[in-house]
Amino acid sequence: MTRPAAVSTWRGHAALALLARLYLGGLFVWAAVHKIADPGAFALDVATYQFLPLPLINLFALGLPWVEVLAGAMLVLGLRVRAAALLVALMMVAFLIALGHALHAGLDLSCGCFASGGAAADPISWRTLVRDGLWLLLALYVLALDRRPIGVERLSRS
Amino acid sequence: MRDETLKSTCRDAAWVVAVAFGLALGVNAVRSDGLPLVADREYQVLVPCPEVGGEAAALAPTDPALRDPRTVLLDARDAAAFAAWHAPGARSVPYDYLAPTPQETVREILASGAARVVVVGDGDDPDSGRELARELAGRGLQNVAFVTGGAPALKAALAGGAP
Repeated sequence: MTRPAAVSTWRGHAALALLARLYLGGLFVWAAVHKIADPGAFALDVATYQFLPLPLINLFALGLPWVEVLAGAMLVLGLRVRAAALLVALMMVAFLIALGHALHAGLDLSCGCFASGGAAADPISWRTLVRDGLWLLLALYVLALDRRPIGVERLSRS
Repeated sequence: MRDETLKSTCRDAAWVVAVAFGLALGVNAVRSDGLPLVADREYQVLVPCPEVGGEAAALAPTDPALRDPRTVLLDARDAAAFAAWHAPGARSVPYDYLAPTPQETVREILASGAARVVVVGDGDDPDSGRELARELAGRGLQNVAFVTGGAPALKAALAGGAP
């Protein structure tokens, strides 16, 4: 019983998690930029996954990048880090499900992750799945163990 | 205490989503290339043309490989032509110049454990057998060939016995 407690109270988590947060947060902000710049192209990417019903595609394509930007920025800045990590983890789970579905169906499509330019520019593969899985683990790490996140909130409190 | 953090974390997350969607809808309303909130028509999801990527060998209709039991013989002609005549043991996989061969079919061929896949087409120019063979080779099948001259040539060869 004492070992898990020792793991979770280790003070180094804040520093390690900061690295994970900067990486994940930067990634999410970066990934959202092209989606916000060209919502039409991203909506087409979403449609190509053949996962969402037509009435939801545009709403999802419009809203998702802003959730990514906010959650990413919160991770980087250290604002409500757990909420941001929770959102990132949920998004990663959703992406993993959609990706798995697309790969299983043999859809030759653009990931829509980092570029809008068709399957050739940003193709999906099983490696995309592994990559997303690693990012999910990072988000879960921050969510579970970053108790006193380094960042704006901690500075303003102390 | 833990329930409390969980609850406040979820509440914060819900707020972020709400703010994000507010921002998204606001920005979308202002920009000139904004999207309609509900798509007014189906997206034209582009399925890429069957990419002719692979190389398929040409086999003479009299090639002994055709009689090898480990060879899977596919007939690329349409169902009517297949019904009228087909080589013994051939399997009908009608080739469509516009649509890719169903993934299911490709999987079945892969699962058959054949050492060689030989396609018989219509023998025209372009030959549907050659096209299907190249498509299958491009989609990861190994050792794919087509019969030169297609079904007419194969029929004549089978009827004539030895060349």
